[in-house]
Amino acid sequence: MAEQARDRLVLMLGILTYVERHGDTPFSDLAEHFGVSVDQVRADINALWLASEPGDSWSPIDFSADAYDSDVAALVRNDGVSQVRLSPREAVALVGALSTMGAAGALPEAGTQALDKLRTALSEPVTVIGDDHVAPELREALLSAISRYRQARLDYTDAQDRRTTRIVDPHRLVVIDGHAYLECFCRRAEDYRVLRLERMASVEVLDGAVEHPPTDSAGFSLTPAFSATVRVARAGRFALEDMPGVRIEDAEEDVIATFDVADAAWVAGRLLSVAPHLREIQPNRLVDALHRQARSVLDVQR
Amino acid sequence: MAQVSKPERLLNLIIGLSSTRHRLTRDHIRDTIEGYEPLPFGASEEDVRKAEQSFERMFERDKKELRELGVPIETVEDPVHGDEIGYRIRPAEAAMPALDLTAAELAVLGIATDYWRGAVLGADATQAVMKLASSAEHGPRVELPFAALPAVAGDAFATLVEAVADRQTVRFEYSSVSSGAGTRTIEPWRVVLRAGIAYVIGFDRDREAPRTFRVQRIGGAVAPVGETGAYTIPQEIPLGALAESDDVRTARVALRPESGHALRRRGTPAGVDGGWDLYDVAYAHADAVVAEVLALAGGARIVSPAELAQAVVKAATAALEVERG
Repeated sequence: MAEQARDRLVLMLGILTYVERHGDTPFSDLAEHFGVSVDQVRADINALWLASEPGDSWSPIDFSADAYDSDVAALVRNDGVSQVRLSPREAVALVGALSTMGAAGALPEAGTQALDKLRTALSEPVTVIGDDHVAPELREALLSAISRYRQARLDYTDAQDRRTTRIVDPHRLVVIDGHAYLECFCRRAEDYRVLRLERMASVEVLDGAVEHPPTDSAGFSLTPAFSATVRVARAGRFALEDMPGVRIEDAEEDVIATFDVADAAWVAGRLLSVAPHLREIQPNRLVDALHRQARSVLDVQR
Repeated sequence: MAQVSKPERLLNLIIGLSSTRHRLTRDHIRDTIEGYEPLPFGASEEDVRKAEQSFERMFERDKKELRELGVPIETVEDPVHGDEIGYRIRPAEAAMPALDLTAAELAVLGIATDYWRGAVLGADATQAVMKLASSAEHGPRVELPFAALPAVAGDAFATLVEAVADRQTVRFEYSSVSSGAGTRTIEPWRVVLRAGIAYVIGFDRDREAPRTFRVQRIGGAVAPVGETGAYTIPQEIPLGALAESDDVRTARVALRPESGHALRRRGTPAGVDGGWDLYDVAYAHADAVVAEVLALAGGARIVSPAELAQAVVKAATAALEVERG
């Protein structure tokens, strides 16, 4: 397979460059550093050894045979090959992901340093727009609680504008769709929760120790109640593009979006902002939710 | 002779093209680089033709693969030797600059690969981390309490990234908010990410002006058309609607007690009015404030400016006109 040949080439060049920069290195260290088996390292050293210049049997790369016998890579000679630079796609992948984490407010210190090094070496391969709106003291408090395995008390407002105080076992910060969230066990809900950092007004580190371990299955666990289909003029398309699991089709001057609804009131709130462009909504329970919400708005705004 | 595997052949090709003082022609490459089959000696014309074809195919694939890997292969023409094309790699341009990453920095890059997991750039991110590990220090495994959930990125995004690097025009089907679905031909200038959403900014050939496209609205494949290096990317790229607006105004909103917490946090208290708390809130986009007030379903109303209040009324009135099916 093409991809495997490339991976192997990158690994071989990686081993060569690593040993050139760090000096004699046991096979076991190389295996651990690159996340491969010791046998793979040995095979790659052999392949590097066999590399040849055009037209003659001169080996541009030579390792010590004695060291090889004791499972150590010791470079005797390397005539001018080394790891190759990042491709445009690779550069965008790394810088894009790290910058997005930074803009969300969940990039560790080491990430900022790595990003600086990459940007200096690569010239900016992608533009990432967005400001970190997370207060530093809030992030520091969460990280301090996580690293010391302490509980935290949060002043939190959810997407439905309900304000609560929650005591949580904090686990880690995670970036989802460009926003920073805390993965935690919430004592109030007695379940795992993912809470958005921008919705926290304050964080207090408590003395109590974390009792619930992190889980692999955390994330958004909203159960869809029903599926909805909304026809909207193209100008209103943007309000539907972020709906969970949405599929959008063009239909003449309109688009038709189909998506899952977990909370009808929340979806109705989103639809209100593009109401002048709405053409058709199914099922009726979503129409009813929209009407209820619109009447409540008109009761106070005229 | 022992069988030379593909990665070994690619390594020999890099060594050969990097060590040549001037250039290597295709004939040189076929006959002297280990891993390719030299033309059979004394073979029939038919066999020679077959061998030539099979070499051509193999070499074209290898060249493409090295370029995708980030290795710049230069084409060198030499007037003395007629029209036969030669190739070389400049070692300084091909080599990865030594970034000397710490073990912690390398661990963060591992999180960056999670960000693209399952998406088209996933393999690229993994390979990039492997490359950077070559000059990183070896240390104990660093566990960081950070993570990133996969972003959405399709083949279209990856093709656009390459087109920007190659300065090659592309064509795609696009569903526009203002002008409907249609074919667009653009010279892509830059890829942009905002809040996890991918955009491309480029020069729209048909509209003869710079345009911004949301990658998610591209239907089907992005097709490169024409030559590489076909245009110049301007120094200053207009971010258009993606830019953070400098034009910030203030709205006064009235909030019911225990509601509008997000607005309260961003705003400044401006007294009370009957059962309502008043706040002054800065905003760059009127639509965003209107949407926020609408979503609070009666928990908030706009006091001023009047046009925002009208927009709220207009939207709610229109919502009541949507009929039950």
